[in-house]
Amino acid sequence: MSRRFPAFLVLALLAFMVLAPMAGLLNLGSLPGYEMTDLRFWESAYLRRVFFFSVWQALLSALLSVLPAILVARAFALQPDLPLRRALLRLFALPLVVPAVVAVMAVVSVYGSDGWLPLGRSLYGLNGILIAHVFFNLPLAVRLLLPQWQAIPRHHWLLAEQLGMNSWQRWRFLEWPMLREALPGVVLLVFMLCLTSFAVVLTLGGGPRSTTLEVAIYQSLRFDFDPARAVVLALLQLGLCLLVAVVTLKLQRLPEVEIADSATPTPITALHKALDIALILAATVYVGMPLLSVLIDALDGPVLSVLSSATLWRSIANTLLIGLSAALLSVSAGWFLLRYSAGLAYAGHTRGARLVDLAGSIVYVVPPLVIGTGMFVLLSPHVDVFDWVFPIVISINALMGLPFVIRCLGPAMRQNHARYHRLCLSIALLGWHRFRYLEWPLLRRPLGLAIALVTVLAMGDLGVIALFGSPASATLALLIYQQLGAYLIPQAAVTAMLLLLLCLAVYALLERLIGGNSDATY
Amino acid sequence: MLLIEGLEFAYDVAPAAPMRFELEVADGEVLSLIGPSGSGKSTLLNLVAGFLPARSGRILIDEVAIEGLAVAERPVSIVFQQHNLFPHLDLYTNVALGVEPSLRLDSVQVEAVRDALARLGLEQLQRRKPGELSGGQRQRVALARALVRKRKILLLDEAFAALGPAMRAELIELVKELVREQGMVGLLVSHQPRDALIASARSAFICDGQVAASAATAELLEQTDLPKLRDYLGSM
Amino acid sequence: MYSFLRGTGKGLALLLMSFNLQAAPPNLVVYTYDSFTSEWGPGPQVKVAFEAKCACTLELVGLSDGVAMLNRLRLEGANSRADILLGLDTNLTAEARASGLFEPHRLKLQASALPGPWRDDTFLPYDFGYFAFVYNREKLTSPPASLRQLVDDANGASILIQDPRTSTPGLGLLLWMKAVFGDEADQAWARLSPRVVTVSKGWSEAYGLFLKGEADMVLSYTTSPAYHIIAEQDSRYAAAPFSEGHYQQIEVAGMLRSSRQKQLAGEFLEFMLSEDFQKIIPTTNWMYPAVAGDTLLPAEFAELIDPSPALLLEETQVARERKAWVDEWLEVMSQ
Repeated sequence: MSRRFPAFLVLALLAFMVLAPMAGLLNLGSLPGYEMTDLRFWESAYLRRVFFFSVWQALLSALLSVLPAILVARAFALQPDLPLRRALLRLFALPLVVPAVVAVMAVVSVYGSDGWLPLGRSLYGLNGILIAHVFFNLPLAVRLLLPQWQAIPRHHWLLAEQLGMNSWQRWRFLEWPMLREALPGVVLLVFMLCLTSFAVVLTLGGGPRSTTLEVAIYQSLRFDFDPARAVVLALLQLGLCLLVAVVTLKLQRLPEVEIADSATPTPITALHKALDIALILAATVYVGMPLLSVLIDALDGPVLSVLSSATLWRSIANTLLIGLSAALLSVSAGWFLLRYSAGLAYAGHTRGARLVDLAGSIVYVVPPLVIGTGMFVLLSPHVDVFDWVFPIVISINALMGLPFVIRCLGPAMRQNHARYHRLCLSIALLGWHRFRYLEWPLLRRPLGLAIALVTVLAMGDLGVIALFGSPASATLALLIYQQLGAYLIPQAAVTAMLLLLLCLAVYALLERLIGGNSDATY
Repeated sequence: MLLIEGLEFAYDVAPAAPMRFELEVADGEVLSLIGPSGSGKSTLLNLVAGFLPARSGRILIDEVAIEGLAVAERPVSIVFQQHNLFPHLDLYTNVALGVEPSLRLDSVQVEAVRDALARLGLEQLQRRKPGELSGGQRQRVALARALVRKRKILLLDEAFAALGPAMRAELIELVKELVREQGMVGLLVSHQPRDALIASARSAFICDGQVAASAATAELLEQTDLPKLRDYLGSM
Repeated sequence: MYSFLRGTGKGLALLLMSFNLQAAPPNLVVYTYDSFTSEWGPGPQVKVAFEAKCACTLELVGLSDGVAMLNRLRLEGANSRADILLGLDTNLTAEARASGLFEPHRLKLQASALPGPWRDDTFLPYDFGYFAFVYNREKLTSPPASLRQLVDDANGASILIQDPRTSTPGLGLLLWMKAVFGDEADQAWARLSPRVVTVSKGWSEAYGLFLKGEADMVLSYTTSPAYHIIAEQDSRYAAAPFSEGHYQQIEVAGMLRSSRQKQLAGEFLEFMLSEDFQKIIPTTNWMYPAVAGDTLLPAEFAELIDPSPALLLEETQVARERKAWVDEWLEVMSQ
């Protein structure tokens, strides 16, 4: 079947990309001269502590990000006429882009001892970690949950109005059931993002009390040079996420899909409208403050001299190249996976559909350091790895972007499939034509969102490029890090602002170009 | 009695053809509205229900003006062609929502819901979900909810369009019975002139945003002096 | 969309090809760390200076830091393209030597500026520095005068430090504490811990936080204030001299056994010890040149503190005990 083949191909590639490097690393463990640490480390109190702290901070971060996000997304959904709505939603895509080290500085600018809302020493610890994680993930969750409101049929809104439902009842009968499709996936994604968060935890965490699995893996691979241990820890992290994924996805209800026109619901009372606006304002302020601090720090710095550096422009070119290529690759892979998954869901094989989605999402949890180093091990006997920097970085970033594609595109594809698949079969609308006349116009918006998100994510990536990059192939994120390491903190601030502005521009452009400029409010 | 006087409306989208309706329906009567697509039939129902705001004019129910009231305050129940039910709730709950959206029903209300379901032959199915029912059964549930709400006006917006002729006839008869029993006022929009024949002693032909003709159903369908009506009906 | 794909493909191919360009003259490949090769580091000037003398091309490959370099080399083994590794420090030299990948140099270090003798025949030093706690003179008027005072004064300065698992200065502080307190280091850490505002991943984060005023002092180098004085004309920052002495960081370079350009590599090492290379170091790497010379240091370096006595633990001891010491530190600091 033409759906199954490309999907299986993608799945095979994913498995290969994740498992082969790990196998390569494990294989190293048996070479003479390398230490193979005793693998019964689960008896270590230290590792137990690391494990539990990792889970605890990720869980808390996920809850504190997603629960308010639901309220904020709802506020956006119920206020379609809000001025600057589109601009605000674009702003919400930015935190994802910010490299962790810049984010840490920004959070400190706002909440540190000399900041606008000084928290003093209590910032360093779980508080700081949560603040930073919510800054990253609340806007993302809002962006991912918002389209769900579009899935509510128009007549349901009318009915609710006629039956005299109040706000709570509308939530209970209309909104919550639709949300249940997307919510578990979003929680899982945020959990994974927070679990693998590295620089934030290490710097804002206050000390080794706040060590996570990701740090332990980093330590094993770099400082101890114990590849076997690193792989085992990575597998442990993977296993942990699988467990969480199974639990959250069990809670997911794929709704009975009916052919529906969407509608914009009317707010119930002026009080509700005011509350919604207050919520949106609060979220905007929370997200905006650190971003604003980046801007302010930058304007203090040597803007002109940074702009006139040739390295900067080369970095911008590299950044764009990597971002766009990674997005293209990621979205293509995700597309094939999701088409297959949508077909499965439609045919009633919900478990199969969920497994496919899960496979695409879970790869995020394997640390890029492990994949990168493993790839290096596999490739270096055969090719000069430095020639392959860009393809490797692009492919790893594409891998990291896949869960986002699945979150953005999944629900829309499923609905689209349920509505129109039979029609397509009956008029033999297949392949390219089907894409051009059916999927492109109807899936443009979530597709645009997915491409835009993955692009800016890859543009802001520091972890992967730092493994292989050299100044010739530097991206903006790497440039910032290099500047920071050379006392050039004002310059780094300017470069960080440039990165943010570039990402904002690219995001807006992609969303507009691909997503289209329809009047649809989602 | 439902009296619509000089009810005016125009959509925001250009070119906006202004619409103006005048209508009268007696208690216990079902008035059928026929006419081509885009003529304003559904718009009229939406205006009565309050989903659309009229520019001017009045809607009087037993001499009481309702055009200023919010949707939930109007004595109206509406049945759509689809999406009348919440797919994740069982039939009983779907009907109960019509009585009290908080779903806190007293024993009298519970009885009323049970009775309504029984009246429509759905008693055995009350714990099922809409996904498990046929189209006809789903529309019955919607009718049960309308019944249980005991509102004066019953609007049917192509509610039976997706059903087979026998089922349609059966449900229309049922609607007639309910409307007569409860002294309700019914407005039925349909594309099937036969539906009008079964449902209504009188029917109205809506065209270009106005009530172009109103007469006894059989006569209306035979009328020859309205070219637009002839175009719509074709050869029957 | 098609044209975009084509464009990207072309761009990608061009980029890849640019890496593949083979220069006609011999190419010397030096693995070093990122900040060396960046445009503000010594790299660009070193490249120009060496290429003028050698009739070759110098290819500087930037890998994130010393640890990454060593690991990369271990992974590549004898297939490595590298001729020289530049940027290890003395904490890594024992392991590097044990890997068997390096070739002994046959050079003598004349006129060394190092405080102690240099006896390593595999690696040659090119610069060195001392760890110190840097503070803002206007905000902290009486900094601690010794490590012991920093540790014992319960109302003393708050500090920002780095994690020894991920950062060289972090490891440096760990060894510094060991050198001063010996077996009682863990107790010293316990006493110091309440004053640690946070332990960051790397030097940049800690220094950046310090500049934002998050703590009174930050672990950095004695030469850090030189940057502010020279590049920013800002004299507010100073390093606090400790009476026990400061721990040293000596950065070295070595030739690889698998090098195919051993002659050229030897020339580079000689160049490294010459004035042409050494004079670039102070204002690009912000460290002390390894070779002594009156004209090498800018005048402002005289304003820096005297870090003697210079502390340095024996490299094989460090290699042997490092993991245990880090684990001990973790135990104490995780309370």
